[in-house]
Order: sequence, then structure tokens, then C-alpha cells
Amino acid sequence: MTITRRDVLLGATATAALVPLAARAQTTEVVIGVIYPFSGGSAQQGVDAQKAYETALEVINKDSDFDLPLAKGEGLPGLGGAKIRLVFADHQADPQKGRAEAERLITQEKVCAVIGTYQSAVAVTVSQICERYQVPFVSADNSSPSLHRRGLKYYFRASPHDEMYSAAMFDFFDAMKKKGTKIETLSLFHEDTIFGTDSGNAQTKIAGERGYKIVTDIKYRANSPSLSAEVQQLKTANADVLMPSSYTTDGILLVKTMAELGYKPNAIVAQDAGFSEKALYDAVGDKLEGVISRGTFSLDLAQKRPMVGKINEMFKARSGKDFNDLTSRQFMGLIILADAISRAKSTDGEKIRDALAATDIPGEKTIMPWKRVKFDEMGQNNDADPVLLQYVGGKFVTIFPPQAAIAEAIWPMK
Amino acid sequence: MDKDFAVRRRRDLIIAAALAAIAALTPLFVKDVVVQNILILTLMYAGLSQSWNILSGYCGQISLGHALYFGLGAYTTELLFTKFGVLPWFGMLAGGVVSALIAMGLGYPFFRLRGHYFVIATIVIAEIGLLLFHNWEWAGAAMGITIPIRGDSWLKFQFLRTKLPYFYFALALCCLAWFVTWWLENSKWGFWWRAVKDNPEAAESLGVDVFNSKMGAAAVSAFLVAVGGSFYAQFVSYIDPESVMGFQFSLLMALPAVLGGIGTLWGPVLGAAILIPLTELTRFKFGGSGRGVDLIVYGTLIVLISLALPRGLLSLFSRPKKTGAAR
Amino acid sequence: MGLLYGLIAVGLALIFGLMDVTNFAHGEFLMIAMYLSFFLFAFFAIDPLLSAPLVAAALFIFGAVVYLLLVRFAMRAKANAGMVQIFTTFGLAIVMRGLAQYFFTPDYRSIPQSWLGGKTISVGGIFLPEPQLVGALVSIAAFAGLYFFIHRTDFGRAIEATREDPGAVALVGIDKNRVFAFGWGLGAALVGLAGAIMAVFFYIYPDVGASFALIAYVTVALGGFGSVFGAFAGGIIVGLVEAVTALVLPPSLKSVGIYSVYLLVVFIRPRGLFGSM
Repeated sequence: MTITRRDVLLGATATAALVPLAARAQTTEVVIGVIYPFSGGSAQQGVDAQKAYETALEVINKDSDFDLPLAKGEGLPGLGGAKIRLVFADHQADPQKGRAEAERLITQEKVCAVIGTYQSAVAVTVSQICERYQVPFVSADNSSPSLHRRGLKYYFRASPHDEMYSAAMFDFFDAMKKKGTKIETLSLFHEDTIFGTDSGNAQTKIAGERGYKIVTDIKYRANSPSLSAEVQQLKTANADVLMPSSYTTDGILLVKTMAELGYKPNAIVAQDAGFSEKALYDAVGDKLEGVISRGTFSLDLAQKRPMVGKINEMFKARSGKDFNDLTSRQFMGLIILADAISRAKSTDGEKIRDALAATDIPGEKTIMPWKRVKFDEMGQNNDADPVLLQYVGGKFVTIFPPQAAIAEAIWPMK
Repeated sequence: MDKDFAVRRRRDLIIAAALAAIAALTPLFVKDVVVQNILILTLMYAGLSQSWNILSGYCGQISLGHALYFGLGAYTTELLFTKFGVLPWFGMLAGGVVSALIAMGLGYPFFRLRGHYFVIATIVIAEIGLLLFHNWEWAGAAMGITIPIRGDSWLKFQFLRTKLPYFYFALALCCLAWFVTWWLENSKWGFWWRAVKDNPEAAESLGVDVFNSKMGAAAVSAFLVAVGGSFYAQFVSYIDPESVMGFQFSLLMALPAVLGGIGTLWGPVLGAAILIPLTELTRFKFGGSGRGVDLIVYGTLIVLISLALPRGLLSLFSRPKKTGAAR
Repeated sequence: MGLLYGLIAVGLALIFGLMDVTNFAHGEFLMIAMYLSFFLFAFFAIDPLLSAPLVAAALFIFGAVVYLLLVRFAMRAKANAGMVQIFTTFGLAIVMRGLAQYFFTPDYRSIPQSWLGGKTISVGGIFLPEPQLVGALVSIAAFAGLYFFIHRTDFGRAIEATREDPGAVALVGIDKNRVFAFGWGLGAALVGLAGAIMAVFFYIYPDVGASFALIAYVTVALGGFGSVFGAFAGGIIVGLVEAVTALVLPPSLKSVGIYSVYLLVVFIRPRGLFGSM
């Protein structure tokens, strides 16, 4: 009995190999590789990402009534209702392991596209491998601006990068200054991995262009056991705005240390990452009333677009958390990728690439406050407008840009 | 006795040549890139561990800071290549020489230290190197260096479509490290080291130049590890401080030798052949779960092996031989 | 901060120095202690300060069990005892991290409100965070207690004697395993104390131990193995050097200061400041 079944399977594979076109036309399953850190210091981001992708999968594979690409009907219409299957792999924040996993997913699991990776350093090698095998790589949540400037054909990023985020922060400062708020000096506080370095460089550059004075620029070691000395320097400089770029761990320690050393800046405008994590607000939210963080996602959008709230509920049922900046980008990333695969009507890497390049989704058909999704020749979506959110009364409120804002910024923070 | 020794050495050499020949033929049968990737890593770690073994196993100076030399090799090669256009082959040599010189410079004060003090000093010095590279803007700091890829080229030692050149280079590195060890075992230095390890004071009084022989071991070991580092940089085609100088490399170089049998000719190869595929496979199998199962499996195995076989896996093979000899 | 490094280090000093056993899972002991005090707080609302003795007691048992189940055999190894110890405890560290991730999830946790959290006393313009202040006091007390214990009690002397010459001690009728198990328990209990205090102001996740482990090793070695007072002094020096380096160099290089001082000290005094071995 078993032998017969195996024979049938073998026969099927052989046929598939012999007549690839015929087999593809009847594809019932499309496999996509998802590469994240599932162990080590940032394992939680991987676990959260997994939940976000599973939520997107539910929207795509099941029939639902949202105004999103692929939500209606089951599976991918362009491939006769084929379902998407995700294969998760662990890169442990190591570029070499990310590379090996990407290669394994492409050659063994036969994925037709890869999505990832949280750490920008890993995205570098994963995207190289994808380029080599001509498989599209969707960079769902990496924000390092150098990534899309490497001339890769198979690299796509729908969300903003750090220069866009930083520019939005300075736009906000300019607007506040017009209203008469005093903003002249800035303190930068960024960690020393690729994320913090990139963010610090972008902020230094824009501050220089727009005439803001950086009084302290502190680069600190990620996961330091203590930040007292650093906070002491921030306190001495006492700039008008503190601009941290920190992951969750350091963010918690920073806020706690600031409270201990009695440092209370006028305003904190954070470069996301740690400052969009629920864990950080669970830990030190009471000390963060009025903190401002950049983001790509805002639950306020649910007032205008009810589906945002509903999808958020679906995610919350899985993870116990609201969508945040990262998980919303991951969700959207998979939707955009799946939409392209459906339009490509094929699982061939090059066809999917062309379909991705032709993507043009209006902002209303996303869960983001973006204008639209359309990639430039480098694979970057320049119409993904970042927003600034303020943490008020245990919730995030959109305060900038004006067209998305639902409240005025509270300045100085409490 | 001497004759036995000579016979054993000749036998080792023949086995090694046979194994290398078999290894060289595997790509004919193994077309799967994932398996090839595992093979390359295995060979590389076997070579690295073999080099580590020269200083730490034979000479008894346990170093948990060899990531420094690994990183130096990688960085020297890629800085020379990306900033000055020096071909990686020369960069590889340069990296090796730089590492060997630094190893000797460090050896001067370090070899006065004993036991835990020495081990911690090696960890600390590698950590300093890591932090310096992390903050060195010209060397890319945290952004690392992306190696520009312009298609397959032996000259630039980069290949997009095939892994075979990497495979053969890793094999060559492994063989070289093995051969150097084999040759050193029977050299003047080899005898000195054994004497030093057994009883440093006695050895010194017999006129063994302890200090110089340790310096030699450090230099050879650092040179080979640095060559491994530049290979790794070319292979991955992207380096950043954490991914070539992190503490995990120091451990990954030591682990195969310890598991296989520290201070032995075959230990590192055996250890790497078991450990590296095991690490990769546990990650493939359990890594996507997000629940740390791969760590639990991996850690448990390390504990069990080091407790059950303190002399390393190699002792499994030598035990029956000993009983045979006793009879 | 220095005194807290000292407190973490002193437990290690006991295991590492007095018994000459390498414990690479020290940071993970700290992690377990922090989780314990977190859960005691989360489920029973016991303030970390109150739960500190409970955590210390739990860690005592844990340390003793680790010794009896694992380290005892590692020390018995006939060959390469040093390497066997390093890798047994290293493997244990990995397993503990994996288990923590399995059972506690990798989420970052932290104790939001406690008696001490976030309160500061201002003395002449210098802010002294209360949790750290209490931590410092506890460390001083723990050091004093340990110092007294090692040098003034029979049991302390027994530990030292057992390390020196297990054979002779056995003749006098002291069971080596009981003495060492007690030593491991005590070392772990001290880490438990440190963990409970640190839980007040630090975040908790499965890999948290790694940041502290290396500093703890350096602290112990700086002070010199075999010396409790050395670990205490080492802790203070490390804390000071860290603060000073962060002022002079970019803060991301502050650990370089600590490491350089260690290297300098051992180049001049190869046995650390107060080491006897």
C-alpha cells in the first residue's frame, strides 16, 4: 500500500520535472521562505513576525471581506486559487547563517520568493543569494538605506528607510518651530550596530542641512550592562530634543536609567525599533508619557478604514499584541508579494520580479498610511510616508504629518 | 618504539591522503548546494580547529580569543581589496602575516600568564579587537564591508554560480593545517611542546627554549586561522565585526578539537565532521520553531560528549587498540 | 554599579577561585535568578527586595544540584579537566538559554513597579538611584559575610582545604562532594541575590546573562583568583574604570577601558591584584 502510494508520488514528481509548464499551470501551493531570528537576543522579533505572517496568510488563503489585494476569495486568483505555504527559517542574526538558510529554502524547499529579515546585516547576504538564484527578496522590515542602493534587480522594499524616517522627524521639527516652539539643539543617542549607525548618520546629515545643532552624539554599545555614564552625558548636554535609536533592551535600560538619574528631556523623538515594542511600554510606559516615535503604522487609521481594526484584532488573537511598526510592515510585505505572484500567474522568479516591479497599489488598499505602493528602479517604494506617533494615555496617537494626524503634539512631554 | 612511531606517522599520512582524495571526489556525487555548503563549513572549521589545536592543544596554551585572528584575516583581505584593489590572494597572505605578527607581539606579555588568567586575557583581547573594529569608521564600522561581486573569477576568488572553488580551497586549507600539525608533531618544536606541557619547569631546566617555541606555535596558529578568515570573507562576501570577530568563532574553533580530542592529530577533523553538520541540521530542523529547541538539543549534546569522553571522541577508537596491545 | 558587578562576581569568585572550577554558565545563573524574581513579582506580587532571600535559596538548591549532577563528573575527568569543565558548563549555558526561551518565551520582561524602582536620592547634586544603592549595601554585606565565612568558620576552611588537597581532606573525614556542593550552592545563592536586585532596574530575557558574564570573569581575575576581597575590589575598579572611560572615549568603547586595565594589571601582577593562585 505504502509502496504504491510512493510510486504514485514519484511518478507525479517525475512528470512535474518533465513538463514544468504543465505542472505549473496547476500549482495548488506556492511556497514562500521567511527568514528571521528565532533564537538569540532578538528571537522575540522573529516570533512576532511569524504571527504577523500567519495573519497575512489567513487573509490571503481564506475568504475575507477586506479591501486588500487577495483578501476576497481563497488563495491566489492568478494561479487558480493556489494556496500559499510559508517555510520559516532561523538566521540567528548571523549573515552567514542567513545566507545558508536562503540557499536551503530556495534549492530544497523550492520557495519562489523570500521575505525577511529584521537585521539589516543579514538582509545584505540574503538578498545577494536571492539575486544569484533570481528569486525575489522582499525586505519587509529592514530600514537601512544602503540596502536598496546596491543595484540588485530582485530586491524590493515597500516600507520607508531610515533617511525617509529621519526626514519626517525634521519636517515635524520645522513645523513645530513655525508654531513658535523652541527647537535648536539635539542629542543623538544611537547603538553601534548597522541600524543605529545608519540612523545616526542620516540624522547628522539632515540636522546639518536644516540648521539644527547637535550638542551630543553618543554612540553606545548595544546590550550594554549599564548606560549610566551615557545618560549622565545626555543630562549634562540637556538638548531640546533627545533622539534615541535603540532596540528594545537598550530602550528599556535607557528609560530606567534616565528616571534614576533624574533626566527629563523636553521631548524624545525616537527612531522606532525598541520604541514601538509593547515590551518596552509594559516595562517603562509610565515614564514615557508623551514620547514621540516615528512609525509606518497607526491604529488611528482604523477610524477611517475599519478593516485596519479588524485585521489588528486577527493579529491580536494570535499574538496578544496590537500591530506595531514592524509587524504591520511584515503583514503588508507578504500581501504585496502574494499579490505580485498572483499577477505573475507563475512561480517563476523572473516573472514574479517583473510583477513586483509593476506593482501599483493605492494607499487605501493597504493597512498603512501610505500614498501608494510603487517601486522605483532600485526596488524602493518612495511613496511610503512615515508618520510620527505620540504615546498619550497608554496609546499611540498620530500627530504628523497633518493629513494623517488626529491630534496636536503635546510639547514639552510630561 | 621509535620504529613504531615512524610506522604510525607514515600510516597517518597515508590515511590523510586517502581521506583528502575521497573528499576531493565528493562534489562529483554531491550536487546539492545545501550539502555542499555544510561540507565547506565542515572543512573550514576542521582547518581552523586544527590550527587552534597547534597552540592550544599541543602547546597547552588554551586560547579563547582566536576570533581576533580570524577577523584580522577577513578584514585585512577585504580592506586591501575594496580600498586599494589588492587581489584577495595577496590580501590573504598579508592577513596571515599581520595576524602572526600580532600573535607574537601579544605572546610576549601573554605567555607569562597561567591558567585562567591566560584564557581570560585571550577572550578580552579579542573583545577589544571587536570593539575597535566596531568603531573604526574607515573600516566600515558596524556597517561592515560588502564585497563587490563582478562575476566568477579565480583572480578575485569569487564565484556566483558554483561552490566548487570554495570547496577545494577549504579542503586545501584543512589539509594544509593537518599537514603542518603532522610535520610539527615530529619536529624539534613538537618535542619541546610535549615536554613543556607535561612539565614546564623540568623542560626549561633541560634547556628547552619554552618561550620561543610557544611564540612559534602562536604565529603558525594565527597565520592559518587568518587565512581561514579571509576565505570566510570571500565565501560569505559580506563581513561586519560581529560576524567575523564575535566570541562564537573562538568557541567554534575550540569545540571541534575538544570534542574530537584536544592535542591530537585527528581530533579536530573528527570533531568538525560531527559537530558542524549537527549544528546545521538542528537549526534546519528546529530553528524555525522560535522556541529554542535547537539550542537545547545542541547544548545537551555538548554536555554529554564532554562528560562522557573527556579525551574526545577519538578515545573511542583508540581504546580497543590499547586492550589489543595489552593482550 | 561597580559594587553590583562585584556582587555578581563574588559568586563566581567562590566557584571559580576557591574551588578552581570554571563556570561558563554563570551569566545564565543570573538570568534564572532574574526570571525567578520576575515571576514571584508577577504572580504573587512579592517585591524583589523581599523575594531576594527566596531567590537566593532557590539558586542555592539549583547550584548544588548542578554540581551534583554535572560538575562533579566534569571534575572527575582524568584528562583535560580544564577543557571538560569549560565545555560542560558552556553546554549547560546553551541548554539553559534554550529552556528559558522554550518556557518563558524570548519576550523582554521587566518589573514595572517596585518599592525601589526609579526612586533616587539626591545628595549634593549627585543622584543616587535607590535600587543601586540598596544593591551596593547588599553587596557589601554579602562580601563581609562571605569573607567571615571563608576565613572564620570551619566550613569555609574546609572548602579551601578541599581544593588544596582532596585526598588529605578525605582522611580527616570530610566528604569532598558535600563541601563542594555547598560551595556551588553558596556561589549560586550570591548570584541569586544579585539577580533579584538587578531585576528591579534591568530588563530580563533569555540572553541577558551574556552581557554580564564576561565582565564577571574579568572582575574575578582582576582581583585575583582565590580572593574574596579581590573580587570586591575588582568590582569597584571595574565600575570606576567604566565610568571614566565613557567620559574620555566614545561610550561604545567603554568596555575597552575595563579590558585594558585587566591586561595591564595581569601583565604587572600575573596573579591579579590579590590573587593567591
